[in-house]
Amino acid sequence: MSFRNIITVYRKELLEMLRDKRTLFTTILLPIILYPLIFVGFSSLMSRQSVKLEEKGATIAIADSVNNDTSRELIKGLEGIEFFKYLPYNAASEQLFAEKEIQAIVSITDSLGEDQLRSYKIGVRFDKSDEQGQMLIGKINRSINDSEKKVVEQELRRSGLNPNLLNMVRIAEFDVSTAQKKLGTILGMILPYLLIILLLSGASVVAADLVAGEKERRTLETLLVSSAQRTEIVVGKYLTIITIAMVNVLVNLVSLFFSAKYMASQSGLETAGVSLPLNSFLILFLALIPLATLFAAILLSISTFSRNMKEARSYEQPLLTVSMLLAMISFFPAFEFNNLMALIPIINISLLFKAVMIGDFQISHLLITIGSTLVLDVLAIWATIKLFNSEGVLFRTEDDSSIKSIRSNKRSFFNPYNGLVFFVIALVLLFYLGGSMQKQDLAKGLVQTQILLIALPVLLTLRLLKQNSKEVLRLKAPRLKEIILVPFMAIPAAILVSLLSQLIDHFFPFPSEYLEQLGRLFQMKMPLWQQFLVIAVAPGICEELMFRGFFPRFFEGKSKSTTVWITALLFAAFHLDPFRFVPVFFLGLLLGYLTIRSGSIYNSMLSHTINNGLALVLVSFADKPWMKYLSSGGDALRIWLAIPALIIFSGALYLFHRVSKTEENS
Amino acid sequence: MIEVMNLVKGFPKKDGSTYYAVNDVSFEARDGEIVCLLGVNGAGKTTTMRILSTVFKPISGTARIQGWDIVKDPQKVRENLGFLSGDTGLYNRLRPREFITYFGRLYGLEQRQINQRIDEMADLLDMKDFMDKKIDLLSSGMKQKVSIVRSIIHDPPVMIFDEPTSGLDILTARNIVSFIRSCKERGKCVLFSTHIMREAERLADRIVMIHKGQLLANGTLDDLRAESGASDLDDVFVFYVNRQNQDMELKHNEF
Repeated sequence: MSFRNIITVYRKELLEMLRDKRTLFTTILLPIILYPLIFVGFSSLMSRQSVKLEEKGATIAIADSVNNDTSRELIKGLEGIEFFKYLPYNAASEQLFAEKEIQAIVSITDSLGEDQLRSYKIGVRFDKSDEQGQMLIGKINRSINDSEKKVVEQELRRSGLNPNLLNMVRIAEFDVSTAQKKLGTILGMILPYLLIILLLSGASVVAADLVAGEKERRTLETLLVSSAQRTEIVVGKYLTIITIAMVNVLVNLVSLFFSAKYMASQSGLETAGVSLPLNSFLILFLALIPLATLFAAILLSISTFSRNMKEARSYEQPLLTVSMLLAMISFFPAFEFNNLMALIPIINISLLFKAVMIGDFQISHLLITIGSTLVLDVLAIWATIKLFNSEGVLFRTEDDSSIKSIRSNKRSFFNPYNGLVFFVIALVLLFYLGGSMQKQDLAKGLVQTQILLIALPVLLTLRLLKQNSKEVLRLKAPRLKEIILVPFMAIPAAILVSLLSQLIDHFFPFPSEYLEQLGRLFQMKMPLWQQFLVIAVAPGICEELMFRGFFPRFFEGKSKSTTVWITALLFAAFHLDPFRFVPVFFLGLLLGYLTIRSGSIYNSMLSHTINNGLALVLVSFADKPWMKYLSSGGDALRIWLAIPALIIFSGALYLFHRVSKTEENS
Repeated sequence: MIEVMNLVKGFPKKDGSTYYAVNDVSFEARDGEIVCLLGVNGAGKTTTMRILSTVFKPISGTARIQGWDIVKDPQKVRENLGFLSGDTGLYNRLRPREFITYFGRLYGLEQRQINQRIDEMADLLDMKDFMDKKIDLLSSGMKQKVSIVRSIIHDPPVMIFDEPTSGLDILTARNIVSFIRSCKERGKCVLFSTHIMREAERLADRIVMIHKGQLLANGTLDDLRAESGASDLDDVFVFYVNRQNQDMELKHNEF
């Protein structure tokens, strides 16, 4: 790798960027004019707006059904409010209120309490979603409070009591936070989010241009036949993105700093004499560099993968959305910055910024943040260089994805990309429709989910594509030897997986609401055989059709074990349950193996049914005396069970592996 | 000197089988010689040239440029190679001088050498007027001249032209043709591809015909005319295509 070539590429790219008006405008010019406009313009607009609102006042209808000294006193108070107009309540008032000609209806009623004390109720009907409504309720409240005080004072005097009784208890606030810290809190919320988004958007403008743009303009091949190495080109372009992104952030920070300073000096009052934390800005800037390198590497690999700039921009979109969501964490007060959080990209920077702005952050967090970001960074660059060396990626052509071509060609539909798309659709259906189906009647909902959302889409898709369902889904009778062995694997496996769940529960205790939710499954009021159908048989058939029949076909490219691993991952993810992810994943591995090894989906259907059925048995017979040998209460199995389970499972697995040997998989 | 030995290149098709764009092609081009790679669109010309320029890697077989192996020493191959195609783009925001300097530096030349060569070539190709205008503003003829200088900035012994005149008007195409001739005069080894028979006829010392990824014929124009018994190059080409088709049918019938 020659440093000279990297610099050559880097300088040329920068020169090109500087000559691109679009890049110049978004990275430098826009931030310079934007913040002063936002800060200064916004604040003056806001104050003007509120003055206007005050002057607009309100028209209010009053219905006084008491009409004594007290109520008149209250009304007098209300009439003292500036810009407010009053009408007596009459037949037309309701109509006027509906038409918003009058903005509130105030009614005064009274009642006698048990102790013969007269109390007054002031009803205010108004629209709080309206700015004017919010303004008037505040003013009416204040006025009524003042009047109340007066009235009560008079009453106390009349009874010969000291009116100061009213002021017996009062709150005195002593705020020890400095103005500096308050400012830090506000900036700590907004700045991280703002900076991360700025960084990403600045970088993405450039990145799309750098490789996808070269493809689009047909200059990439020329560059590739020059004697520069691929790595040199990648690093040169990578440095360009980082530079532009950091310049963008710097310009934004500087502009923001001066605008905020101007604002602070204008508003006077609390922030007067508070200097904006310049050194905090400096730390922020430095802490952004690792993140910039990470974004640059990811964006560059996206750009390299894309055929043209438009494609690159659309691939960037999910990255932008995810980053925005992660960066938003700074808005929530509840998140504590700890070593675990420091490992998660974007979230760590966001929380680090917040800590810096408030003024308490730990060096260890800083180091972990930078370290973990750099590790991801290296991975992303490595991926980019890999992509850059792949001729298939550099000279990608349009895919033909019309339904006609899919029909004519089985392989073209069953590719990993379509597999993921189908999976996401199924997941979304499950999430939105499945949830509402199960809300009313759990048992019915579960069966509906299995049949309508899991099995039906698979069968319909195959029909639509005119595929041979029997062959695709491996609906082939298993051999007798195989199916006999299945229970000897399924039962011990269920025990092992259950013990694994207990182990996980030990380290990451399941929340109680979660256990309650899960418990509902086994408390359905119906005969056991019906429960068995709902909990064990339906998933055993439907989920197997999707995860052991349908999905493996999308991921058959590399090797059988890869297929099993990927479908097990999807299977685990499909359960939308972080606590059961690992156990379900192991179960998925076994089920996938059974089907793909033997070529018959019935093996895994049986295994799945046994697995779910066993859980039902454990819960249903929990109070039988013989259960105490197996379980230590509830569904917690005794640990010694692991040993026989493991032995039986291994033995059965070994035998199955032997008897399922065919010419194809030997 | 270019030596191509049993080159095979395939691309995976959607149905999992392989499409062979180049199938067992061998030929060579010596210094001071213009060799034309002739074939219809989709014959495998561009794929062959991309393999020679080290952008693609062959499945089997190899080639040598100035003795350097394209698989083992791609870096050395690129240093000895000038590459120009008809549809190459340029960096529109740069000026010709900056553009050429960029590639000059990537080829490891010193600034002094680059300047010297730019002046030389600008004189030769009459480019002085637009050397410092933005490329965006240049006409397609001017742009092509910039590409020419870029391809030869490092004075490589071997030049490869992939459909160099496609999409160009007559006058611009003439520039290229005379540039190719001047390369030969300077003793360079030149390989160019085209689907235009006339161009092959006018320029080539030797013609390598390929069709559907396979070599059809390899020889001087006179050799090919003599063997086929046709005088017009179009007819010569059709003769060889027919012969290949017959061979394939024969092979097919044997099974």
